[in-house]
Order: sequence, then C-alpha cells, then structure tokens
Amino acid sequence: MFVNSVLAESNSLYIGDLVFYIVTFIILMLLVKHFAWKPITDMMKKRADKIANDIDNAAKSRESAEKMAAQRQAELKNSQQEAADIVNNAKKSGETQRAQIIESAQNDAQALKQRAQQDAEQARRDALNGAKDDVANLSIEIASKLIHKELNEADQKELIDSYIEGLVDHES
Amino acid sequence: MGGDALTFKLFGLTFNATNIISGLVIYAIVFFVLFGMSRKIQMKPTGAQNVLEWLIDFTNGIVRSQMPAEETGHYSFFAFVLFVFIFFANQFGLIFNLSWNNAEVLRSPTADPVVTLTFSLMVITLAHFAGIAHKGFGGYLKGYVKPFALMLPVNIIEELANFLTLGLRIFGNIFAGELLLKLVAGVAFSHGALTIVPGFLLELLWQGFSVFIGSIQAYVFVTLTTVYISRKVSE
Repeated sequence: MFVNSVLAESNSLYIGDLVFYIVTFIILMLLVKHFAWKPITDMMKKRADKIANDIDNAAKSRESAEKMAAQRQAELKNSQQEAADIVNNAKKSGETQRAQIIESAQNDAQALKQRAQQDAEQARRDALNGAKDDVANLSIEIASKLIHKELNEADQKELIDSYIEGLVDHES
Repeated sequence: MGGDALTFKLFGLTFNATNIISGLVIYAIVFFVLFGMSRKIQMKPTGAQNVLEWLIDFTNGIVRSQMPAEETGHYSFFAFVLFVFIFFANQFGLIFNLSWNNAEVLRSPTADPVVTLTFSLMVITLAHFAGIAHKGFGGYLKGYVKPFALMLPVNIIEELANFLTLGLRIFGNIFAGELLLKLVAGVAFSHGALTIVPGFLLELLWQGFSVFIGSIQAYVFVTLTTVYISRKVSE
C-alpha cells in the first residue's frame, strides 16, 4: 500500500510535488504575512502597549484619587472641629447672655421692688401725715366746738394767745 | 484505494495532479479565510478578528512553550501558517473526496506521504539552518557529539528518524482516516437500504472522530516542529 501510494502506478516517485509544495508554501507564507499576520500582530502589539499604558495611568489616577480623598477627609475633620467650636462658642455666649439677662432682670426687679417699697412707704407716710393732720384738725374742730360752747370771750382770747404762743414756740 | 494517481511529467519531474489540485484548493481556502478574518482590524477586536487573534495566540503559545521568548521571532509565524495549512489540509479530505475517471482528484494532501514528508523535510531543514545560524557551523556540528563522541551515529539516526516520523505520523493518521471513510461508504452502498442507514451513522461518527484526529495531528506536527527547532537553537 505504502509503496503503491508513493510510487503510484507509473512507478516513479513524484518528486515534483515536493518542489510544488515547498514553492507554494513559501508563497502562501509571504501572502499571509503581508495580508494577515503583519496587521494583526501589529495591532496586538499596539493593544498590549495601550493596555500597559492604561494600567499605568489607572495606577496614577488611583493614587491621586486616594490623595484627594485623604485631603477631603482631613478637611471634613477640620470642618467638624470648626462646627463643634462654633456650637460651643454659641453655647457659651448664650450661657453668658442668659446669665446677663437674668442678672439684669433680677437687678431691674430689685430696683422696681425697692422703688415700689419706697413709694409704698411714702404713701403710707403721706397717708399717716394726712391722717395726723386730719385727726389734729378734727380734734381741734371738736375741741373748738366743745370749747366754743363753754368759753367766753375772755377765755377764748386767752386760749388763742396761748395757741399763738405755742405756735411761736413750736416754730422756733 | 482510489485507483491510479493522476501523474504527469514536467521539466523531467513527475507530478501528482491529485496533490496539486487539492493543494491549490487548500492554499486558496487558507489564504481567503485568513484574508477575510484580517480585513477589519480594530483596537477593540470583534468577530472574526477575535478568532484570528485566538489562533495566533494558540500557535504562539505552542512556540513559546518550547523555546525562550527572545528566540521565538519568525518561528511563531512559521508555526502559525504551518498549523493553519495542515489543519485545513487534514479536514479537507473529510468533506471533499472526489474521484474522476477512476482516479482521485480531491482529497487531503496530508494523506499522501510525499506531501507530508515534504513538510517534514522543510521543518527539519529549517531546524538545521536555524541551528547553524544560531550557533555557527562548528557549534552546530558539536551538537552531533553530545553528550559524548560515541553518540554520533545515534544522533545521526535520530535526525533521520525525526524526519521520517514527523512526516509519516501525520500521513498514517490522515490516510487511515480517509481509507476507513471510503470503506464505510462502500459498505453503506453495498446492500441498498439495509446498510445505508447504519453506514450513514457510522460514517458520521468516524467523520466526527477524524475531525478530532486531524486537529490533534496538526497540533502535534506544529509542536514537534518547534521542539526540533528549539533543540537546534538552544542548549
């Protein structure tokens, strides 16, 4: 079978096929290299470069993003601190204001109370004085009415004199 | 098998028309398939470009697994074309097996020992030239007396055996596959409807298996090619 197949019927080895296949295979290689292999491998190489570049860029941008994130975090912490400070200050100033307001209110109240007391005292004193005068006048009137009935002209004169004397005494 | 070979003489050399016609058809198929797959090349691959790139990666992988990366150079291209051609040549006979005037016209060229030994010769020659180019003629010759001088005849026989086994292995596989396909077809048509159904199923089964064999043989051929080249170019 093998001999048959190699030597064929004419009993001559077809060496021509060897030449044919070597020549045509080389032609095929040239064609494939020009039309398929070159463009494809070039593109594959380009892509490999691009991917490598992209990886580098990604690493770079990640680094910067991380840096930025850290910065943001720090800023956030600062702002939190600031906010806390502001709230604390507000609280403190509120507290002091409250104390001031309470104090002034207390002072006002104290002053009002004092004034009111003074006024009341004054009124009482006035009322008392007025009452004294009234009582004095009334008693004088009553007395004079009583006296008027029993005293005569002479006695009355003497009494008036004594009063005037008393007034003078009282005035000096 | 399929009767006489269609031989003719030209320039004092005998040619086998079966191999020439089948070979030309397969060259055309290989070229137009690769040509078609590499038309729209983009940075972001789609469709056919993906297939072609996968194929190139596959053969590059074969080469790279056998020799250091700086040596691969043109060998990956050679391995790529060799793999695609042998793959198509192996499968070709499963689909087209045409006889005309009691002589075969179309079949797998790899089912012919002359063709497979041609490729084997090409590979071995390339390996020896690569060895000379890489290590110089002295270094190349020194390879025959390694590990010691007594190994010289063994090494020479080994080179010859490499050449023969590389070509005859693929010839045997593909030739046997096609022969069995023909025998099964003969059985299928021998007793009319009684044999045509099981014959058809058997043919289908064997064709499927032959696709597998053809792919494996193409892979083995390219792998051994790179092994032989790498043995010559590296220590």
